[in-house]
Amino acid sequence: MSTSGIALVVDDSRVNRLVLVRQLAALGLESLEAENGAEALDLVRAHATDIDVVLLDVLMPELDGYETLAAMKADETTRHIGVIIVSGVEELDSVVRCIELGATDYLVKPINPRILEARLNASLAAKRLRDLELAHVEQERAFTATIERQRAELARFLSPQIAQLISSPEGEPLLAGHRREITVAFCDLRGFTTFAEQAEPEELFGLLGEYHRMMGDTITEYAGTLEHFAGDGVMIFFNDPVLQEDHVARAVRMAVTMRERFGPMSAGWRKRGYELGFGVGIAVGYATLGRIGFEGRHDYGAIGNVTILAARLSSQAGADQILLSQRAAAMVEDIARVESVGELQIKGLSRPVSVSNVVDLVPVATS
Amino acid sequence: MSDLHDGALDLGVIDGLRASVEGDTAFVIELIEAFLADSAVQVDAIEAAVAAGDAEATVRPAHTLKSASATLGAMPLSVAARTLEMAGRSGSLDADDARAAAASIRGEWEAAAAALHAWSAANR
Repeated sequence: MSTSGIALVVDDSRVNRLVLVRQLAALGLESLEAENGAEALDLVRAHATDIDVVLLDVLMPELDGYETLAAMKADETTRHIGVIIVSGVEELDSVVRCIELGATDYLVKPINPRILEARLNASLAAKRLRDLELAHVEQERAFTATIERQRAELARFLSPQIAQLISSPEGEPLLAGHRREITVAFCDLRGFTTFAEQAEPEELFGLLGEYHRMMGDTITEYAGTLEHFAGDGVMIFFNDPVLQEDHVARAVRMAVTMRERFGPMSAGWRKRGYELGFGVGIAVGYATLGRIGFEGRHDYGAIGNVTILAARLSSQAGADQILLSQRAAAMVEDIARVESVGELQIKGLSRPVSVSNVVDLVPVATS
Repeated sequence: MSDLHDGALDLGVIDGLRASVEGDTAFVIELIEAFLADSAVQVDAIEAAVAAGDAEATVRPAHTLKSASATLGAMPLSVAARTLEMAGRSGSLDADDARAAAASIRGEWEAAAAALHAWSAANR
């Protein structure tokens, strides 16, 4: 392996330092030099992240090798740096003590460059491995933080389910497009167009804000997927991207809750002279779901007759009506009381459809 | 090379040193010059400490001189320096070997310097 990095050479003899620095340069390492332990500690603390290895003479005046080593190992910022002890042949006893103190390896003077290279490679490989691990951990942390931040940011624009979908591994195939049975609920306000023409912009936005807040809270409560809202119109679907076995019941319960909450709200507006009614259309059927749009502006959307039917039912609904398609009505007879409103001719459909209105929910039996 | 030089300088060590730095003779010659400059100061310091009877003050220059002279192969000088370092650490320069080393250290240094110069001249 090719060596490169920065070594700190600690020896009281300039001649010995010069030799080691020269040998290290031949192996591709740059060197810092210290004449004693105190100087070495100053350098090692100032360059803790740059120094790859320390070549430490044991017997030095001032602070000796033992004290230097012990101080390095006691310091959180410098303990990871590998230390190779450089000793005279008569000092081998002290080498044992240094290894016990945490030295990585040792070299005996005069230094054989081949042995120096082998010891350095071992020490630098350990250091690089540790650096790689640290870098990897840091990268993972930064990456996770970015994903979390993006998810939080996305959640401000998208339904939480879709934000979650985008940042999850199984998201891509779902985004690419798939078919699934879903329940679509389409809600809008009777009298909104007239109101919008008459109201001051501040009043319009104030009222819409109040309405959207109530709608948003209720959608979240029932874990619906908000496809979009356009003015007073809001489209929500269920059973995608998160599967919900009770998707029709959920949609109906959500609509009933919205209708209840809308009551006091509309009473307040009526006092100010605005007559607004809440209507919902609910249909169930297969749709194609996924990323819809063009590069730079995509939505997660549902396409199919089911969405058209829900929208048409909504436009047919009078104030406080929740209109169900025939199939949707059949699927919630256990939980809701419905009344037939007859057959409606829906624009775009060749045959009239049988439509029901949700009167209220069947009270939950208490035993 | 004369016998005197052979005794003061272990050619096996200095040639080995050169081999350990990719056969870089110019570097070894620079090293010799650095050594002669530093060691002259160390010998002065040792003699001053001995003259003052300050055992502790001999330790540091004797230790460094021992180590550097061994690196270049100036073994008799290194041995004398080592004797003085040990004596210094023991706190007394009165033992016979310490006295002998103190008396001979300058002579050993001069012999080493002459041998190193000769090596430089021969290899330049």
